[in-house]
Amino acid sequence: MSRTWKPDVVVIGAGPAGLGAALAAREAGLREVVLVERDFELGGILPQCIHDGFGSIVFEQVLTGPEYAQRFIERVERSGIEVLLDTMVLELRPDRRVVAVNSRDGVLEMEPGAVVLAMGCRERTRHQVLIPGFRPAGVICAGAAQREINIEGLMPGHRVVILGSGDIGLIMARRFTLEGAEVEGVYEIMDYPGGLTRNLVQCLHDFQIPLHLSHTVTFIHGRKRVEAVTVARVDGNRKPVPGTERLVECDTLVLSVGLIPENELSKKAGVALHPVTGGPVVDELMETSVEGIFACGNVVSVFDLVDYVTFTAQVAGRGAAEFVGGRRRHRGEVPVKPGRNVRFVVPQRLRCLDREVELYFRVERPEKSVQVRVLVDGKPVSSKKARMVRPPEMVRASIPAEALSGQVREVVVEVVPDEKEA
Amino acid sequence: MVSSPRNYQPLPPRAEIVVVGAGVIGCAIARELTRYTPDVLVLDKENDVACGASKANNAEIHSGIGEDPGTLKQRLNVRGNQMYEEFVRGLGVEFKRQGLLIVVTPRSAPPEMLKKMSEEERIKFFTEVIPRGIVSFGEKAGIRGLQVLSREEVFRREPNVTREALAGVFDPNYGMVCPYKLTIALAEHAVLNGAKVCLNTEVTGFRVEDGRVRAVITNRGVVETSLVINAAGVFADEVADMAGAGGFRIHPRKGATLLFDREVTSEYVRSSVAEFRLPGMKKTKSKGGGAMPTVEGNLQLGPTAVEVEDKYDTSIMAEEIEEIFERFHYLLPDFPRDAVISAFSGVRAPTYEEDFVIEASDRVGGFVNVAGIQSPGLASAPAIVEMVMGILRDMGWRLEEREDFVHERPAPIKFSELSHREKHRLIMEDPRWGHVVCRCETVTEMEVVNAIHSIIPATDMDAVKRRTRTGMGRCQGGFCGHRVAAILARELGIPITQVTKNGDGSPLYLGRTKETLLSRGKGSSLEGEG
Repeated sequence: MSRTWKPDVVVIGAGPAGLGAALAAREAGLREVVLVERDFELGGILPQCIHDGFGSIVFEQVLTGPEYAQRFIERVERSGIEVLLDTMVLELRPDRRVVAVNSRDGVLEMEPGAVVLAMGCRERTRHQVLIPGFRPAGVICAGAAQREINIEGLMPGHRVVILGSGDIGLIMARRFTLEGAEVEGVYEIMDYPGGLTRNLVQCLHDFQIPLHLSHTVTFIHGRKRVEAVTVARVDGNRKPVPGTERLVECDTLVLSVGLIPENELSKKAGVALHPVTGGPVVDELMETSVEGIFACGNVVSVFDLVDYVTFTAQVAGRGAAEFVGGRRRHRGEVPVKPGRNVRFVVPQRLRCLDREVELYFRVERPEKSVQVRVLVDGKPVSSKKARMVRPPEMVRASIPAEALSGQVREVVVEVVPDEKEA
Repeated sequence: MVSSPRNYQPLPPRAEIVVVGAGVIGCAIARELTRYTPDVLVLDKENDVACGASKANNAEIHSGIGEDPGTLKQRLNVRGNQMYEEFVRGLGVEFKRQGLLIVVTPRSAPPEMLKKMSEEERIKFFTEVIPRGIVSFGEKAGIRGLQVLSREEVFRREPNVTREALAGVFDPNYGMVCPYKLTIALAEHAVLNGAKVCLNTEVTGFRVEDGRVRAVITNRGVVETSLVINAAGVFADEVADMAGAGGFRIHPRKGATLLFDREVTSEYVRSSVAEFRLPGMKKTKSKGGGAMPTVEGNLQLGPTAVEVEDKYDTSIMAEEIEEIFERFHYLLPDFPRDAVISAFSGVRAPTYEEDFVIEASDRVGGFVNVAGIQSPGLASAPAIVEMVMGILRDMGWRLEEREDFVHERPAPIKFSELSHREKHRLIMEDPRWGHVVCRCETVTEMEVVNAIHSIIPATDMDAVKRRTRTGMGRCQGGFCGHRVAAILARELGIPITQVTKNGDGSPLYLGRTKETLLSRGKGSSLEGEG
């Protein structure tokens, strides 16, 4: 409380995004890098993700979540980064002033040269999707269930219905089964699955867990503890079809109904958020609308692969170092716009225009045999083919540095049918 | 059945007065009684106080403007509202007169009434006749300070209400209080003054001899007494019948409410907002509801009014959700639907006469019914208490004020509301103040510990939530649920698998990992906790 600390950069959150950003900032030459984490250990959500599938791009190896995290944690521990665990950031102001609290130091005030937002995301809850019924014990989000089983060693339930076929829902279907629980089925309101194909195969198909597309839970029964749920088929407008209801006895309803970037602090700092991603609007350095405040990973937009989170973190960490070192120059402002069958693109704008830029985007609807194209002022500067694109999967594209060298007005990312195959 | 850590205050063998029901009314009466005697016993079958309608209503302290003339409801509501500052004094509970904006729209009168009017008459009807009528109606009931607002004044007060608004009335008397925090505070204040609150104690009968009540029979034993106050909410008719002191029926009517994110709320409304409907246009006898920011700043939309069979039916139906959105989309057209963070439902306790029943039984001596308390029961509470005290006086109960009455109930410290300096000082005193358990609401470990060891101890997740707001924010306990459960287990000295959401039958966890696999191997099952 007594002194105000003035480090080079404060990174908020020590999941894969925060770890990556802190390391990148340190490796780019910043001396005092402070990594603030509210949990008791580093790694964010990774330590509870004991399944494999992490790191195939970054490490060209298939790792479990804890293994992936550990590779960064070991580097952080050797790097001289100041780690504050069990520390909660209470305030972030537009002038980058940070107020945090922990049980050792009390209230900590910091005035860093730059801030990197790496708070990740949270799960959408039962009420945010407004499932009618009672409010008993036994309704739980998939990520919370994962933590309880894998970290705390507790069983949230024995007879499980899963709503939502996002990756965590699929992984938890398998995890509950491996723990001896009975998973009656996975219900998905959309007419296509929400998770990665490999998870559909490895988590549902291999364990003979049925996936019910175009279905939802219409009522939760049980006054004290879940006793059953009513499920029903939905029509094209996602409304339950009368007469298709079925009562499923269970003691637990697990929800995997979406993730929301956690931007409460960003809002306090006046950071502009994007209406579609729910995260900060960023440029190619992952700098937000507030000067010197950078953002990376799931706080910007929910990524499907941790590898992409790490990539954006490295960009943000290096960007913060450029900013603190006085080397960050804006040469213009070019919007990056979603074109045909593209829901959003990150980053949303380019301001430095002096380097190759990786773009991440999601499609609006599944489509087969397509070309992913990046257009600079209408001219294609990169393109690649894809056999299939699906909304749950983030797609990567890049703009070569030379394409941005002249006078540029706009960049458009689009997905078009691959004519040669059509 | 997994047994939960129960609140087991030993049941005394006798008590001067027994209050049945630890809702806001029972606790308010108990608190008032302790001004005169410490020998007050409150009984409730649930694991905490405020487990019925007192935890699931819209927290409104109405002025009385919505009640029919000549009813007990109207009289007690108007009086109760005026008494509120005095009522909450010393309790450490926030009470805010944020005001109610009653909006007059083209829907405020039935179309058939407007048919015969010219355009000019219609405008005059909406902008003058209706608002002035509301004010003079209120003044007749003794409600002061009502202001007629023009359309422009309506928008100046609340820029986000429907552009169809034609006029309005502002009611500055209307306020908000957190109903369960108020109930907890009243119960604790009563206990500080000698009362006993026995939870998990269900009244199963009464011993009545020579036309007078002699004892209360419960699932945990018998308490001798000569004075019973029945404040059992939706169960008040059944409790009265057990003593032969009934004669009224409660028909449960539930009401669902949607609760929205605080940040979004503050951008949309300042006071509460309700659309005016001429009497006779409402579908049910319960009030029409509105858009109401709680004292904590979360907007509530609702409530609905649905007659139900089951007094425990606190479910929310899809139709209710639709109805709420439909109704309030008109009143606040731009309010974002996706900012909803929670939904709850409570069961009202109306009688068929739809008025409060507050009277000494004429069949059983020493038995007072305080029943049929639905909205505006919370607002009327101070006046209900006053009326009950009058009844007791008429029954010959001596009302001599104690000299040793403790006037203050210390409020729990809320970390998030302290200055940085105060926060720092507390953490240096006890590091548990520095552990933020609930991120969304910034609740610390110490606050949870304090709630668990408070005068009315919180022994389940919902009880901790009501006292500290853990799990009440956007993530609804997704992050903090396990941490709070672990603190409950540690502080209560029980395995975490015995921690419940809200008492018996609501375990959070059904065992430890591997137990399920092992039990399957032996061909048995751990199931059946349901």
